[in-house]
Amino acid sequence: MSEPQKKTVDIEEMVNRQEWWWVAEKKRSKRLDYLRKAVWKKGALGGNYAPGIKVDMEYPVLFTDMWRFWKFDTAIMRRAKAIAHVLDNISIFITDKAQLVGYMGSKPHTILWRVDGASIVNEELYNEPGIHEDPEAESLEKVAEINAYWAGQTAVDKVARVLDPEDAVKFLSGAIGWGAPTSAYGYSGKDYEYYMTGKRAFEAIIDEIDKNIEDAENKTIGVPGPDIIPYYDKIQNWEAMKLVLEACIRYANRYARLARIVARHFETDEDRKVDLEKIAQTCEQVPARPPRNLHESLQYDLFIQILARFEAHEGAWPARPDYYHGPYYDNDVNVEKIITRDEAIDLIGEFMIRAYEVGGFAPRWAREGLQGITGTWVWTLGGVKPDGSDACNDMTVAMLQAARLVRVANPTFGFRWHPRVSDEVMREIFECIRQGLGYPSMRNDPILIANAMHWHGHPIEEARLWLHQACMSPCPPTKNGFQPMRMASATANCAKIIEYALHNGYDYVVNMQMGPKSGDPTTFENFEDFFGAWVQQMEWLFSTLVRTVNLARSKDPEFFGRPFLSGISERAVESGLDAVSPEGDRGNCWITAFTWVENIDSLAAVKKLIYDDKKYSMAQLIDALQNNWEGHERMRLDFVRNAPKWGNDDDYVDDIMLRCLREAARFSKVIKCPSGNNWPILPENVSANIHYANIVGALPNGRRLGDALYDGGVSPGPGLDKKGPTAVLKSCAKIDHITDGRAFLLNQRLSPTQAAGEKGYQLWKAYIKTWADLGIDHVQFNIVSDKTLRAAQKDPEDYSEVIVRVAGYSAHFVDISRKTQDNIIQRTVQGF
Amino acid sequence: MKCINCQYEDESKNFRYLYNARIDSSISMRQCPKCLSTIAVDELTFEVQQVVGPGEAPWGKSAGVESLADDYQKAA
Repeated sequence: MSEPQKKTVDIEEMVNRQEWWWVAEKKRSKRLDYLRKAVWKKGALGGNYAPGIKVDMEYPVLFTDMWRFWKFDTAIMRRAKAIAHVLDNISIFITDKAQLVGYMGSKPHTILWRVDGASIVNEELYNEPGIHEDPEAESLEKVAEINAYWAGQTAVDKVARVLDPEDAVKFLSGAIGWGAPTSAYGYSGKDYEYYMTGKRAFEAIIDEIDKNIEDAENKTIGVPGPDIIPYYDKIQNWEAMKLVLEACIRYANRYARLARIVARHFETDEDRKVDLEKIAQTCEQVPARPPRNLHESLQYDLFIQILARFEAHEGAWPARPDYYHGPYYDNDVNVEKIITRDEAIDLIGEFMIRAYEVGGFAPRWAREGLQGITGTWVWTLGGVKPDGSDACNDMTVAMLQAARLVRVANPTFGFRWHPRVSDEVMREIFECIRQGLGYPSMRNDPILIANAMHWHGHPIEEARLWLHQACMSPCPPTKNGFQPMRMASATANCAKIIEYALHNGYDYVVNMQMGPKSGDPTTFENFEDFFGAWVQQMEWLFSTLVRTVNLARSKDPEFFGRPFLSGISERAVESGLDAVSPEGDRGNCWITAFTWVENIDSLAAVKKLIYDDKKYSMAQLIDALQNNWEGHERMRLDFVRNAPKWGNDDDYVDDIMLRCLREAARFSKVIKCPSGNNWPILPENVSANIHYANIVGALPNGRRLGDALYDGGVSPGPGLDKKGPTAVLKSCAKIDHITDGRAFLLNQRLSPTQAAGEKGYQLWKAYIKTWADLGIDHVQFNIVSDKTLRAAQKDPEDYSEVIVRVAGYSAHFVDISRKTQDNIIQRTVQGF
Repeated sequence: MKCINCQYEDESKNFRYLYNARIDSSISMRQCPKCLSTIAVDELTFEVQQVVGPGEAPWGKSAGVESLADDYQKAA
């Protein structure tokens, strides 16, 4: 048997055994295989960084030195000069065999430390074992010195001084939400329509800025009056934008120079010399001038994401690669045939690997809440164009194929499904899901476009351009539609709503009065009284979290302005206001509603067993909960088994879901963002259901303190959706996915056997048609058997590449904690 | 409660509660304070059923259509 035939047989056997990770290894090119294996994984294993990952010390030293030096400058100019100093001086490298360059650290195994973000994070970094470069004592000394300098003047320190003290204490308890109210950390939207459509790049933007500065300076030497006063600050902002954009061009040119030096003086392989010359030419073109081909387009996009992370800790990577890079792909592969399809897939695969490589230091709560990844890089594929026509193209297919070859857990894809998506694309999507990637998630485009118009008033042409700002929330990448920073501190641990309704606003886990005193539930006469307490706690929770974000958004042009983000945002370049200013932002806010469904199942259990059947008294329930159900196991099982559960098409509990959502939707229009727009809720969890397991007390749905919470969004509790996938969909379809909230995450686990072959595809396609017809906005799938997952627990080294969908993101199964692993295995395996 | 790994015996509250094996079952995971093993406990009787090692699932099969998957069929 010849070698190629043997390879074919091997692959077939692996396909039969559904060992997709080995299939990928065999199928990908040698270059892609090397790059995939050479990458340093930055996502935390459970809550800890992998061995070998170290904090980069060049960035904090360079940044801090220059910040100190320019102490008499305005804050925005200090930041701009400090960033420029980093870009001009940080060590750079080119990975062997790579075609794309740029990293946010001086070495590939390092993670960036955002020194000016939060003192509390800086202290945590100091105390985190294993991440400081050797000699450790020397590194720690340097860290301590930097911490001492920044203490009291980070972005969070500044906002904390103006927050209401009671709000601050409750927020910092860690019980009700997470994140930080600052533009230093969060999910930063981008104005792709400004810089990524080929019309302009940095040189052209600098020309626009120069003209604006000149016009403004003419005003400031004109007739004195109140109208010229704002221009003094605007000139500072424009100067800062220009300074950083010029430094970005120099940063790219440093790579061009390095590539040529390596090619001319060190490289002996002739093919690699050609690669390096191409890298040099690419970095001379972008980001200075618009890209001319796919390679330059991907490099331009990558540079922008890296450069943004030199300025802020961006926890998301909003992108729509097929839409913005697709025309270059089409020209290079189909029209001018500059590169082959395989070469294009290599480039795309490498683009994904470079994104996977990105990582910054995150506090433990963030690592536990996003186990296995460093942020939610959910890239958007498919969808429609502004005129409503199908936006899928050859690059859509190439992205899906490249994903199966590189099998990274980050980025993942969210696919905008609409009725005109071709069968070819649907098959490619299904192949990714069948091969266990856990992505793309499926998003219902017509519903979400209508939703964006309903909640935030985005015009239809802009709404049709939407992409995922983080895991789930759509955001138009347009001048007034993009949100510069979605601060994660509007993330609510919603299980506390029911917990506080049961305990008169008192939190027995952190031992303090948190919510309002909504009444002693043992005195309530009926369910309506109890539900009234729930509404009171819900309104308090959402208000407390939203207040912190609103304040920070209003103060951040002063506390944490972003000259780079401003420089790539049309409204900032045009107006001279910093990008994080709420002025000109239409507002695209949402409250992430973690641990939502616990409320529904708990309210249903209370209604059924306390008020309707009167089987137990409220006093008995509260006693059992305060004892964490210890000694009350029969009663606990009664509350689990004999109270209706969400996800079984049972109106008794489904009506409670609708009632809760509609109360939240009503209140979402009462609370406003600084732009005056609404704050709809978005139920989803990432892996916060594990993070909050030891923070949420016992609940009437039968969980104890310590148990994982449900996996999130509107997904039924694991093992509690007993009536099959159609019943789950029918429950979810009772929700109005346009007016009841911003989006609703739904996890489903399917049988790998049923997904096999053509029949599997047809079954899945029929399922998706039903899902779409029912108007549900989201669904994502795990198709990995118990057998594989249990084997991976037992022999992790043999299954290091198995990927699972956690919630809103994917992770390598072996990178998540045992508790999270078990939570995924516990999910109901649905059959078609 | 008695650990079946090291035979240590104590009140149930001293075996640290970890998490449930499945919310609708009386089986939970606890930790033996002496040998630190993760053990599966029936909360109705406080009987220790097994020491839980990597890859072991004391709740048995996942809920749903498990009989359709080949590994479930073999297990059955």
